Amino acid sequence: MSQAAAEKHTVMVVGGGVTGLGIALALDGLGIETLILEKGPSLGGKVKDYDKIFPDFVSGRDIVNELIARVERVPRISCRTGTVMAGLKETDTGYAVSTNDHQRLEVGAIVLASGFEVFDARLQEEYGYGIYPNVINGPELESYLDPHGPTGGRLLRPFDGKPARRVAIIFCVGSRSKRLGNPYCSRICCSYSTKQAIEIMERDPGAGVTCFYMDIRTYGRGFEEMYQYAQNLGVKYIRGRVSECSVLPEGDIQVRAENTLLGKPVQGVFDLVSLSVGMMPCADAACLADLLGIERGKDGFFSGVDQYRAPHDTRREGIFLAGSVTGLKPIHDCLNEALSVAGRVAAYLNNHAG
Amino acid sequence: MNPYHLAGRESTWQKHIKDIPVDNYFLTLSCILGSFYPASETMVPKVFDLLGLRWATTHTSHNGWSCCTAIGYHGDIMPIEATLLTVARLWALAQEAGMEVITPTCVTSFGTYCECQELLEQEPELRGRIARLLKDTCGRKLVIPRRLAHVSDVYYQHRERLAGHFQYRLIEAATGRPLRVVDHIGCHYAKLFPQRHAVGGSEYCDVLAGMVRTWGGENVDYPERRHCCGMGFRQCMIPPNRGATMASVHKKLKSMAPFKPDLIVTNCPGCQVFMDKEQWAVHEMTGEKYFIPVITYQELAGILLGWDPYEVVGIDFHTVPVEPLLDKIGIPYDREKSWHREP
Amino acid sequence: MRQTEHMSIEYDTQSFLDLITRRNPDDAAWRDLRRRLDAMSDAELTDLYYRLRDACQVSEQGLVYPNIQNLHATPFEREKDRREQRPLVEQDSLSEVACWYREARDKSCVWWLENHVIARHALSSCMNCGACTALCPAAEFNEFNPRAIMSLVQEKDETSIVELLKSDTIWFCHQCGSCKTKCPRQNSPFGMISSLRQLSQLKGYHVQSIRGRQQYFARHFWGGNLWNRACTLYFRNPDPERHKDFGPRFAAYFRAKEEYLRRIGAQPDMEGHLSGRKVAPETLEELRKLWTAGGAVYFWSLIEEAAARQAAQAGMTIDEYHNHVMSEG
Repeated sequence: MSQAAAEKHTVMVVGGGVTGLGIALALDGLGIETLILEKGPSLGGKVKDYDKIFPDFVSGRDIVNELIARVERVPRISCRTGTVMAGLKETDTGYAVSTNDHQRLEVGAIVLASGFEVFDARLQEEYGYGIYPNVINGPELESYLDPHGPTGGRLLRPFDGKPARRVAIIFCVGSRSKRLGNPYCSRICCSYSTKQAIEIMERDPGAGVTCFYMDIRTYGRGFEEMYQYAQNLGVKYIRGRVSECSVLPEGDIQVRAENTLLGKPVQGVFDLVSLSVGMMPCADAACLADLLGIERGKDGFFSGVDQYRAPHDTRREGIFLAGSVTGLKPIHDCLNEALSVAGRVAAYLNNHAG
Repeated sequence: MNPYHLAGRESTWQKHIKDIPVDNYFLTLSCILGSFYPASETMVPKVFDLLGLRWATTHTSHNGWSCCTAIGYHGDIMPIEATLLTVARLWALAQEAGMEVITPTCVTSFGTYCECQELLEQEPELRGRIARLLKDTCGRKLVIPRRLAHVSDVYYQHRERLAGHFQYRLIEAATGRPLRVVDHIGCHYAKLFPQRHAVGGSEYCDVLAGMVRTWGGENVDYPERRHCCGMGFRQCMIPPNRGATMASVHKKLKSMAPFKPDLIVTNCPGCQVFMDKEQWAVHEMTGEKYFIPVITYQELAGILLGWDPYEVVGIDFHTVPVEPLLDKIGIPYDREKSWHREP
Repeated sequence: MRQTEHMSIEYDTQSFLDLITRRNPDDAAWRDLRRRLDAMSDAELTDLYYRLRDACQVSEQGLVYPNIQNLHATPFEREKDRREQRPLVEQDSLSEVACWYREARDKSCVWWLENHVIARHALSSCMNCGACTALCPAAEFNEFNPRAIMSLVQEKDETSIVELLKSDTIWFCHQCGSCKTKCPRQNSPFGMISSLRQLSQLKGYHVQSIRGRQQYFARHFWGGNLWNRACTLYFRNPDPERHKDFGPRFAAYFRAKEEYLRRIGAQPDMEGHLSGRKVAPETLEELRKLWTAGGAVYFWSLIEEAAARQAAQAGMTIDEYHNHVMSEG
């Protein structure tokens, strides 16, 4: 019995999120054929769920939809959804890949763009996520603010469905914590949370939003201006890491922190508390590292051989990294990386042609 | 409607399952409990025997147990080496008695054993010095215990078997309603080394909650549940500092009152003293009448076992009367046995 | 048997026994007591103490020791402890742990922070997030901020650390450890404060603050219980007169405590292994050796020295000083 012939592709991009889509389109621009392997049921990754993104409040969903539409029009790009790598072998011309659905693929190069996971807030037990209904996480707040979301864009308390007007946003949940094993800064939480605070205040100027932060790291172009705008709208920023959340009889949440600039412990009561969860390496990072034979840093994110001179290269020839697999980046940076990794892959293929 | 998901709470504590030895306990007692609620200690051997557990303590002249010196350590009159040596001697006594695990009735002793264990594991030079000094000074051998348990861990471990002996459950006799129970864990049980030593971890510690659940009650969560009782060693025991203790207890009482608890159950002797006794001071100073009965887990087991509330459980040691709680559960008692004569 | 031999000839007057077992004599009695204690040699004084302690009677419940209850927390017991411990801390008999602490006295505070095992474990680096202070029971009600202490310590500035050690600040901490659980950098502020308090006493800075010098009371209260009864708290300590906040029901218990302790099976000042028991002299002796080897006795002698110096400056006897620091503030 003969096995079906392997399907051949020049480049395989692992991950069909905003970075993967960007890579495929950039490679197409260079005349290079690509297969996108996406484990989920559809393309678009996490950004397709973002109605507004920082710092300019454009629609993340629109950006992704437009990228998907272009990908679908281009003959040099093919996609397989619901598919993950199951095995990998080196060949004379690159890699032979087997998949979970028993396909055999032969590819010249692989780009890993499998993104990140949000931190599971249940691990920071003192905040009561998963226990107190009115404690939600950042992506959930995002969906509450989304007109296409479950509440039609209305901010409601999950406990009783009443409008939430006193809102606390707790920064650095699952970030900058040696105790939880995530000592790193997730980089984007200060900004996405500030964006959410602005949206709440713009829709309901009478609302009160309090952000509990450790340091505001609005480092990108336009981010700091967004922070100033939030303050102008009346968003309160209290410098102090929240120690615990607890619940009152009617479902209100009591938040306890120190206002470190005043040197005093403070307690506040809120309708809704949103945890600005940080980011973790994608759930299958350990499997992927084993399968591909590439390295990860202490933080669990993938590491290139030289982050200055060869930021996309792994120690295995023909396997490259892009986007949030090497640490969290805003969408804008991910799309830049898509362009730069495409250039690197083209150069590699050029040097290794036939 | 409960403002929290029970399932979430359950799955949280279930991430921290403690490996509790099932037998062979070496019992050491508490300075504070012995001074204020001694029946909570004299009932422990009774419970161990009831369950047929193998346990020991020592009372021979040369091998007597001592206090762990932790009040002295946290009260800043004991250098850590002196406390380490005292604890190492107690561990040696347990070993010599052929018992696997030392079980104090005191949360601060427990916390100190955990701290000593960690220090000795992490500091080889210190370990060497303590081993040598222990041997040279009293001829005993330093053995760092692999596992540590508090007496409440033992009750927790055997909570279902214990319930098999109960005559009563945490149910209001008149209505069949489960009693609403506030558990107060004690900082030195759940906050110092929660990952390794606390049943259920720090935030939703299960050591008392598990007993309450198994024994028919309903656990009450309230905003200041994890707040310290304010005991504070030098704060409660040096007279001019007492205000801070009282204020902490008041804060907790105010916070729990809206949840209408039927009782508070405690793990830690110091917390038991102040949660109970300062209710009087709070009443005197503010006029607020909380008077929520506060009992230790040993007393809770004792009354549910049907042991005499006065002669065995010693409810007269309490500042807040326990009789109203007995009435709720339907436990009879003979007021003639009480020494308190209410005016 | 031991039961009759306790009355030595020269002290065998009821009035003297009454005097030495009084916890709060009036001024004239104070001076009389001090004069008579000073007149006794170390050997006479300790000998009398132990003969009183060990005098026992046979009762239905077993041997009982009627004097023990009268000796605790008396100026007599404190004087006995001072004299008994003095030879243990003479220069050439210091234990190796005590020697380490003696050398540490002459080093800088910054040296201490880098070398004391508790301090080393307590702080790696602090980012001033305030998670410790947010739920600190002391910060809630006092001018106290564990984050600020960690931050100050982290700067390693000798002058500011000395100033901190001389202030009331460090003494507000409850040692509950709530801060340790929450620290994202896995520091232990309460451990650091414990280490700073030790350093403050080692250097004698604690007497400069009201709350610091309360340690002289602590040294005899907890230290006296340990030294004489192998427990830091003795069931006779919480006298309702000094604990009015415990209410009338507690006072009623306290009045009848022997009876009630026995009823529930405890052993007030009796031989045994349950609550309230009289510790066996052999056990006590072993523990005293451990506490000497572990540096506790040396540490107590430093607290004693600092108190004696300050009492002399203020023109107080050491007994007056003791009662002053336990009620001041």
